Amino acid sequence: MKKIRVLLVACGFIFLAAAIVTFKIVSLGQAIRPEYGRDIWNVVIQMNLVSKGERARVRMTLPHDNDRQTIYHEDFIHNLGFSVTEHPRSGNRLGIWSTDLLDRNTSIRYSFSTQLTGQRYSLSPDSRVSKHPEKVYDARIQYWLEPSKEIQSRSKAVLKYAKKIVGREKKTTAVVHRIFDFVRGEIKYRSEPGSKNAKETLNALVADCGGQARLFVAFSRAAGIPSRIVGGIVLDRGVKSITHVWAENYIDGGWVPFDVVNNHFAEIPNNYLELYRGDYVLIKHIGLAQFDYFFVINRGSLPPVDKYLSLYSLPLHFQNAVKLLLLIPIGALVVTIFRVIIGMPTFGTFAPIILALAFREVSLGIGLACLAFMIAVGCLLRKLLDALKILVIPRISLVVTIVVLMAVGIMLGGNFLGEKRLLHISLFPMIIITWTIERFSVLQIEDGTLSALKTAGGTVIVALAAYFLMSLPDMRFYLFTFPEILLAVIGLLLLFGRYTGLRLSELWRFRELRKVHSENKKSL
Amino acid sequence: MNFLLDSSFGLLGMNRRNAEYILEHNPRRQYPLVDDKLRTKRMLEEHGLPVAETYLEITHPFQIPRLKTLQHMREFVIKPVRGAEGRGILVLTGREGDNWRKASGELLKQEDLDYHVTNILAGLYSLGGTDDACFAEYFIHSHPVFNSVSFRGVPDIRVVLYRGVPVMAMLRLPTRQSDGKANLHQGAIGVGVDLETGVTTNAVHKNHFIQSHPDTHQPVSGIRIPFWNKILETAAGAFDIFHLGYIGVDFVIDILLGPLILEVNARPGLNIQLANQRGLLPRLRKVDQQGKEVESWTPQQRRDFARNLAHL
Repeated sequence: MKKIRVLLVACGFIFLAAAIVTFKIVSLGQAIRPEYGRDIWNVVIQMNLVSKGERARVRMTLPHDNDRQTIYHEDFIHNLGFSVTEHPRSGNRLGIWSTDLLDRNTSIRYSFSTQLTGQRYSLSPDSRVSKHPEKVYDARIQYWLEPSKEIQSRSKAVLKYAKKIVGREKKTTAVVHRIFDFVRGEIKYRSEPGSKNAKETLNALVADCGGQARLFVAFSRAAGIPSRIVGGIVLDRGVKSITHVWAENYIDGGWVPFDVVNNHFAEIPNNYLELYRGDYVLIKHIGLAQFDYFFVINRGSLPPVDKYLSLYSLPLHFQNAVKLLLLIPIGALVVTIFRVIIGMPTFGTFAPIILALAFREVSLGIGLACLAFMIAVGCLLRKLLDALKILVIPRISLVVTIVVLMAVGIMLGGNFLGEKRLLHISLFPMIIITWTIERFSVLQIEDGTLSALKTAGGTVIVALAAYFLMSLPDMRFYLFTFPEILLAVIGLLLLFGRYTGLRLSELWRFRELRKVHSENKKSL
Repeated sequence: MNFLLDSSFGLLGMNRRNAEYILEHNPRRQYPLVDDKLRTKRMLEEHGLPVAETYLEITHPFQIPRLKTLQHMREFVIKPVRGAEGRGILVLTGREGDNWRKASGELLKQEDLDYHVTNILAGLYSLGGTDDACFAEYFIHSHPVFNSVSFRGVPDIRVVLYRGVPVMAMLRLPTRQSDGKANLHQGAIGVGVDLETGVTTNAVHKNHFIQSHPDTHQPVSGIRIPFWNKILETAAGAFDIFHLGYIGVDFVIDILLGPLILEVNARPGLNIQLANQRGLLPRLRKVDQQGKEVESWTPQQRRDFARNLAHL
């Protein structure tokens, strides 16, 4: 009755996993937020860097969470050399990519998902503009009253116009409305290669979103209202490289958005993604011969997750490591099913899992080709070592050295031929490959080449199955969001641990018995 | 439905063997007794069960030169202590000049032999790849009854023992393909043996039924295995020594010494069912029906009980 006990324990684990997941979703509301089903976007920012053969650095502002937007699933593709810092005054997140020597063209991709909500702000009609704003606001807000390089809010022309526009109006809403209407009415929109500053805009009366927003901010500051530029993207499905700039004024203790160009007064639509605050530049770079970037924007479907007590609270770089770790038990489950239910031979339990993980990093075709090459060459050399009568431990050490040399050779060759994907071979599990070579050779000697090839084939098939399962994006997402799913995996493994039925391969292995059976039937 | 899944046929699969018989009846701490062939032999000797004589033990590389002391032996076998599935076994039939002669007639240089022994000591053939020892023992001359159906090596008889009761037996015949080894997956022939009479029945080679030996072309069924009574009784007696519930006891029949226990295997394979064209499960269930006291029966009682299992 051990079987029943195991069954109960296994069901207990599966039930526990289901219970925790349900509890997290339904009761705590801590996981998937139900009200966020709608405006989800996947955004990829791709930057193409053309090398000048010197030290290079790219700095971009990264989106951050606020009351309207949630950022999640951030990922750097080609993330070597990337670091994330926070700008102390503006609170902007900066992603900095740098390299000591950029000697070939490359591209950096930063991707994330975001959940946006539109918002309409109701401004209280009684609020008044302070006569001495420098006394009213604390230092943090003061900063947004000061003129800056492109926003000359204390220049004579700006002050003169501001006085004209505002007149004797004291109510904040009315003041902002007058400024908004003035900029919207007097300044014509024209797309420009570089945005004008506030003064130039006032002189030319023609500007793009940047110039108009700067002028709006300059007038607001001149009128004594803390105001700042906000930059970001208006999300639409497709590929674009145009960014957008709008403004925020500090009214009644909160920042209220104003977009002069698209006529959003104290409101923001649900596709405005904020990337930075303040009169910033989205992307800066040095040491590059040429640089361009674009955004690939798609509707997303995977909802965000609360960061409270979840893996999403980990630093970004560790999140990827954890995602990888969580896939290992899934690989083990696949191996178990193939070994216990199907009866497919493999070189050990771990080789297929680790190969599947390596395929994910290296890409399937290249991974398989390199694996076949390394094992074939390794086995040949292993045979030579056999002829030299080398002791076991030094022999295995020799094989691992040869494997490492081959990997380095493949990397050099790939670099030389311009096939950069070959460079990822460095992520291959050298020790596992060495062991596979060793076991392949021993099995070949003991049971023949056919048996060794069968086991090798089994290992690759199981690795492929694990690879395809691990590659499902939903798989990674749900495991990361609900790591307790692994409790269900434990339950399943316990069940498989007491599966005493025949393996599928045994039906084949004992197929001859069927003949006997049918003959017996005839004689009856 | 595939009849192999039919419980009345009772085919024992790998999963059930491992979960319900090996894990259930073979306590882990007893394993070293059977994984270490030298210990097995010593224990069997102590209890008066017949084994082949050990000539020499080599546990450290510096002892390798001692092999030379065997150079005047007409023949002997070198085996790893923890070897699995017949791996690393080397049969030497004397010397020719400075070289050793293998059973196959091939010549082996001294350095080749040293290398082989070094590999054994380094654990190449042991189950977990751990350091190992090796020994040289009496070279068995098979009983002439098997002459017509053996090729080079020595045929052996595998008796599967469940809670001390022999439940199934199989004669294993080496072939050219198996290089004189008696392991089925290396290409040896498995021949089912009627438990009651000790007469061989059907044969299986590489998972296919055959009628005659592929090398000697002689029929393999209908051979009466000599000393059958003693073999069953000796096998049943082995249970009282090792207290492992599910084991395979391998016998060889020497022309001079009669049946000798070659080794004891705590994970006997499943192909024996193919050779006997019977599933193991009905017999295993029958033993279980006898209750706990089956383990305290005398070997003779278990032997007699086993003979009745032949009809299942």
